[in-house]
Amino acid sequence: MKKNWWKILGPLLVLYSFGMGLLTPLKTGISDIRPQFISAGDTVKMEVTGYNSFYKAAEGQLRAWLKLDQEHALAAQAIEVKDDRHLVLHFVLPPHLPQDADQADASLLIDSPVDGAHVYPGGIRISQKKTNVAPGSGAAWNAPIEKLHEKDAITFPFRNILGETIRNTYYHVPMWFAMFLLFIGALVHSINFLRRKDLKNDRWAAALTTTGLVFGAMGLATGAMWATYTWGEPWSGDVKQNMTAIGLLIYGAYFVLRFAIEDPERKARISAVYNIFAFSTLIPLLYVIPKLTDSLHPGAGGNIAFGSEDLDNTMRLVFYPAIIGWTLIGLWASQLLYRMNTLREKLLWGH
Amino acid sequence: MSLWSEIWFLLGKEVKLEWRQRHALSGILLYVLSTVFIVFISFQQISPQLWNVLFWIIMLFASINAVVKSFVQESGNRQLYYYQLANPLAILLSKTLYNILLLLLLGGLNAAALLLVAGNPLEDPGLFVLAVVLGSIGFSVTFTFIAAIAAKTSNSSTMMTILGFPVIIPVLLVLVNLSAHSIGLLQGSMIRDDIIMLAGIDLLLLGLGLVLFPMLWRE
Repeated sequence: MKKNWWKILGPLLVLYSFGMGLLTPLKTGISDIRPQFISAGDTVKMEVTGYNSFYKAAEGQLRAWLKLDQEHALAAQAIEVKDDRHLVLHFVLPPHLPQDADQADASLLIDSPVDGAHVYPGGIRISQKKTNVAPGSGAAWNAPIEKLHEKDAITFPFRNILGETIRNTYYHVPMWFAMFLLFIGALVHSINFLRRKDLKNDRWAAALTTTGLVFGAMGLATGAMWATYTWGEPWSGDVKQNMTAIGLLIYGAYFVLRFAIEDPERKARISAVYNIFAFSTLIPLLYVIPKLTDSLHPGAGGNIAFGSEDLDNTMRLVFYPAIIGWTLIGLWASQLLYRMNTLREKLLWGH
Repeated sequence: MSLWSEIWFLLGKEVKLEWRQRHALSGILLYVLSTVFIVFISFQQISPQLWNVLFWIIMLFASINAVVKSFVQESGNRQLYYYQLANPLAILLSKTLYNILLLLLLGGLNAAALLLVAGNPLEDPGLFVLAVVLGSIGFSVTFTFIAAIAAKTSNSSTMMTILGFPVIIPVLLVLVNLSAHSIGLLQGSMIRDDIIMLAGIDLLLLGLGLVLFPMLWRE
């Protein structure tokens, strides 16, 4: 028990990440607004579809703003609550925007004492016909945004397009972490084999690489599922997807190479060399090339990284345990594989 | 003997060996010519985009066929003899250098044959030559090391393809991009980035080869 505590910890952490990751609700958000293209000077009836919202319970206490920037916002004249998920907002837009431009992008901000404040970021385009406006014509955009409510509950962030799929962060990303850690373990064993010529190191390297490759395949599969719902198709030709597939092919060749050599010592030496080679090509494939070219992934091709905005503290509470849990399960599986192969060798060679 | 003179001497040996068994060299040159001809007959009309891709695909297959024999054409006993005489780095580098020369020859022939049968889409021949030179270096560095691994297995030409293709894809992607610039299919200032990335990948693979080859060589 003292020696094997981590074999219990791993599955427990993974089960925790399943439970917590699937059961925690998302924050209230705004999933749809129409119309999204409006003109200055109009009176607009804006139909809003909320997500995880309880507008009925907050009827009469709701407030809404069209927000242009930190200083300029316009409050809704009237708010009709149709049901828990649907609102109709009435805005009377002033004849001019504060900016001297053809158009401006506004965010919609709704504050509710029940759900807290939630926002539809930057999706509403306001055009104005007349440019060259006189100074001070944006004076009507001066509604103060204050006394916003915060909801006290454990929730995950709501992001448009991502929606509920944000939970895949706990299943897709840890696969890559686990794969990478297992590959690092295999690399260390391969280097040690070349230094000490101990066949144990070779068996460990092979076992860790096998499990790592399984995690890589699962990462690719969960990624393809995620891409189906957010990017439109399972294989979007994204550079990181392509490079990962190449990386896994390079690692796949490791096993073909092992099958192609009979002599155990020679097999161990050649595959150790190849394993070091494969790992060294994996780094530029996964972490250098995608950063240099356009990618749909966060943190690549000039996209913002998965940082404080997307990964809030509640998500960290599930995300990090999931990484640890999957890695421990990977280690356990590798250990079983290692033992199995050791026994098989013993049966074959009698030592 | 210093490393450089060893490399120089071994390079001379490779060239001499190739010249004595001209059938291997003429075989691979005929391979390129007949592939270009097959491609021409099957496609009839070759657009600039197709020209670009076909050039690199033919180059890829011809290179893999040309490089695979690097370590298998000499018998195990003679390899043992080299091992006692020469530095393993000199052996790897001389074979790599020799393969660069061979692939440059192949690239030139490939380009000449395609230009002859499929017309000339090149707008910036200088850039195209640069792409071929960088491509020959990249292919040679990668495939020579892979050939050293594959030579240790029982089925080296199949292993060469299995091990070599995934590794070469990033190099090939950048090369296709770079020569697309020279054909005028792509515009923009990405050329410098492409060249730097290609040089970076080439250097990384060469460094890996130099570090790992001595462990592979030893039997």
